[in-house]
Amino acid sequence: MMIAFLSNNEMVPLIEALAKRLEVIAPVLSGGQPVFATWNGQELALDAENPLSSPLEFLLPSREALFRYVQLSGRYTFEEPSLPARLILGIRPCDLFAVEVLDRIMTEEPCDQAYLGRRRSTVLVALNCTRPGSECTCAQMGSGPGCVAGYDLALTPLGDGYLVESGSPAGVLILREHPQFFREASNEEIARKEALLAASREQMIMVRPDLSLQSMQEAISAADWERLGDLCLRCGGCSFICPTCHCFNVLDLGVPDGERIRCADSCILSGFSRMTSGANPRATQGERLANWYRDKFVYMPEKIGLPGCVGCGRCHRVCLARFDRRKLEALP
Amino acid sequence: MEKIHTTCVYCGCGCGLFLHVEGDRVVGASPSPGHPLSRGRLCIKGWLAGEFVGHPDRLRYPLIKRGDRRVRATWDEALSLVRDRFLKVKEAYGPDAIAVLTSAKGTNEENFMLMKLARAVLKTNNVDHVARLCHAPTVAGLSYAIGSGAMTNPIESLLESEAIMVVGSNTTEQHPMVAATILEAQSRGAELLVFDPRRTQIAAQADIHLTPAPGTDVAWINGLLNVIIEEELIDEVFIRGRTQGFELVKEAASCYTPEVVESITGIPPHLLRAAALSYGAAEAASIVYAMGITQHTAGTDNVQALANLALATGNLGREGTGIYPLRGHQNVQGACDMGALPDLLPGYQKVSDPRKIETFEEAWSVDLPRAPGLTAVEILEAAEEGSIKAIYISGENPLMSYPDRDSVYKALKALDLLVVADIFPTETTRLAHVVLPVASFAEKDGTFTSTERRIQLISKAVSPPGEALSELDVIFDLMKRLGAPYRSLSPAEVMEEIASLNPHYGGIRYRRLGIDGLQWPCPDEDHPGTGILHREAFPIGRARFRPVFQKELHESPDEDYPFLLITGRTLYHFHSGSMTRRTSLLDREVPGPVVDVNPDDAGRLRIRSRQRVVIESRRGRLEVEARIDPGLMPGILYLPFHFSEAPANALTARALDPASRIPAFKISAVSMRRA
Repeated sequence: MMIAFLSNNEMVPLIEALAKRLEVIAPVLSGGQPVFATWNGQELALDAENPLSSPLEFLLPSREALFRYVQLSGRYTFEEPSLPARLILGIRPCDLFAVEVLDRIMTEEPCDQAYLGRRRSTVLVALNCTRPGSECTCAQMGSGPGCVAGYDLALTPLGDGYLVESGSPAGVLILREHPQFFREASNEEIARKEALLAASREQMIMVRPDLSLQSMQEAISAADWERLGDLCLRCGGCSFICPTCHCFNVLDLGVPDGERIRCADSCILSGFSRMTSGANPRATQGERLANWYRDKFVYMPEKIGLPGCVGCGRCHRVCLARFDRRKLEALP
Repeated sequence: MEKIHTTCVYCGCGCGLFLHVEGDRVVGASPSPGHPLSRGRLCIKGWLAGEFVGHPDRLRYPLIKRGDRRVRATWDEALSLVRDRFLKVKEAYGPDAIAVLTSAKGTNEENFMLMKLARAVLKTNNVDHVARLCHAPTVAGLSYAIGSGAMTNPIESLLESEAIMVVGSNTTEQHPMVAATILEAQSRGAELLVFDPRRTQIAAQADIHLTPAPGTDVAWINGLLNVIIEEELIDEVFIRGRTQGFELVKEAASCYTPEVVESITGIPPHLLRAAALSYGAAEAASIVYAMGITQHTAGTDNVQALANLALATGNLGREGTGIYPLRGHQNVQGACDMGALPDLLPGYQKVSDPRKIETFEEAWSVDLPRAPGLTAVEILEAAEEGSIKAIYISGENPLMSYPDRDSVYKALKALDLLVVADIFPTETTRLAHVVLPVASFAEKDGTFTSTERRIQLISKAVSPPGEALSELDVIFDLMKRLGAPYRSLSPAEVMEEIASLNPHYGGIRYRRLGIDGLQWPCPDEDHPGTGILHREAFPIGRARFRPVFQKELHESPDEDYPFLLITGRTLYHFHSGSMTRRTSLLDREVPGPVVDVNPDDAGRLRIRSRQRVVIESRRGRLEVEARIDPGLMPGILYLPFHFSEAPANALTARALDPASRIPAFKISAVSMRRA
């Protein structure tokens, strides 16, 4: 592992250098709010809260064309889109953890080639969280506030600059190729990182001291799901925003030529589990909601050994019914 | 990838969202956390709002009718044909043989320019839009009562209400962000009273749910007022200081004792009293209503009855009080504000007022027609009779959304020229002589005005498909071809013209809007916009009470047609479905039409769930699958109007409210039998 220090005023020159070879995705402002988008020289929003839409959409887009089909002289030909090489700058530990969750799910045999293609061509530069958001629970879920694996480079903001740690050969390469932007990190700076992250963790745990994977499992088995289903406004937001949600639907659009599209699906919708006969094994909104929670906190830990909740708090931020973890715990 | 901040295209809530754009294609949508109302939330339609934009069915080229087919044409051919036929019709039959139906899905700028095309270039006041089918009684009724037909308070003001009355609104499905606000207010302690013959989701959450028989609203609203008066819960200071005409209303209300109300509406007296006490005793109480109030032959009376109630209790002009008509389209408020109405100029200035019309004549250097034009449904009636010969329709699908489909078909078929500008082929474009492909909300700049009077920007995220153009550019081109001396303007420049002619929009400039937008009235550039209306005074001075009485329905269930059919919408589809039926998850969620039937009625007619049934009215018949719904009163059927497979408006009547000319979509006598 290499450790270095990047001062604030070297950040933009570094990105400019990286953007010559890769499409750099970074938090920038749109409508005054942080979003992950292609960096074209805009002001960076690394200090802002984690954008509402997670950068996982660059690995598993909410809508992508898998291939284009074209009919020529009665025969179909297929064109696959080319994937851009990308670098995601500023992915937070929670979202990085979600990448690990998706890696386990999507690369299990049979491997999802579309996911793998994007995953392989993406460099991940993580940003550790020294200032957690009010809905953040990564400390309780074990995914943050500092990342421990899965990154190519990890940045920790120290005020005047960033402590930079490499986590993969790709990360080392970036440090080696651009030595002019980095200097050696001091032991004090390394210690400061640990102290900042410990304080950040402390802060989250103080807000919700009793929250844990186990406490959520207990709340899920105790909850009155039919009552919660009556309150749910069926927007599907929790499933569309969750960085570990990965269910999709496939449709062919266009005749005779067109595209095979895959787009995000949602188990919050009744059509997700409804059969052709009209019968639905998850017939009520309560059952569907319970399934979503169980998937995150029970099924995924059982199946892949990792929680399906990374503690990013987004499902709460987008919930139209303001139905949230706290309400879930409060209800008998 | 870029993320472009814009405003949702579906209902009147006006939520903020980002369109995710990659390589000139919309690949997703996500909520805007900084938006003043939606604050990072969206409903299911909003989450999926980007999907239809790139659908292969989009209209890409102008089409011209050749025989029974519509063939590809150039813009020049299409617009020359429109010009020639307009001029021919105008010469042969006069300008009032032409009509323009603007679009509540279009921007303010497009609506304003289409209105100008109709009045200043074609010289007719026959300009209207779909507000005629939803909130015409609100514009008429609230303008009379309190001087303004718009929502009196911002939506978030509901959070300060102690009692919220929701009338004829399936809020969680049709205005989800308003429903979220109401339910949040309830969780903070507000009492929720819902009046609806159906047990909707919000009705199920209500503290009191009352199920009046459809079409009996004046009776129970007067009944509430009667109890409030008897319990001395009226606000005498407010009535004395700010209103006129209370005595007559008091007298009218006194006829509607709880027992009389029960005999008309079926509402048990104790529940009526409980609701009256809840609304009447609250320090701040609000009334939220939608199509269940307006789409009746007594629509304007219904609105006045609600206004009487709010005025008598002093529930206007303060935080947590107010009247909240929920507008269905994202820009139906704006289309009204822009004067896309046959009797009103921009800013609700009367066509019949010589001083107002002279202002416009001076600004546009033309003589303008002074007699009010025909309303939307009347335009189609006139087309059927032959006195309207040419119609320009922007983004409307009357064959699906107007009452009495057979007559609509005959009317459109009888025209010398039907021009339809739209984003997808619809039932109506299939009858058009000229089809103009135009940009969707994701492909142009402009503004929408939400139901809470918030003027908000939309931003071009991607290019329109094929040769499709922004409709604003099409209108300018057509104006030039028709010899008008107006130069093409950008949307921001059009807004400056709007600001100069509509006093409510006087201070609106694009650079001021940001993501918060501005709420009109905003009379000048330094004005911060207005949240709560009528704080100190009403625009008409004193608010007007008007006594209203329960009237006979135009049609009641009888031996031949024993059921009463209510039409409406569902959460997952929007209007005639041209966008939502092309959004895969929405279409899968509700793939086709179903009629809701009460279990007792179903049992009696031996109808099981998913059984196909025939429904027939005096206007038409259709076949549709039945669904048993225990939340529906006996004798009532509910059918959404989204689906061409079973077009609900084949059954509805053209019975109009005399004051506002809205058709009574909510009341049709029908029969039902197994198919």
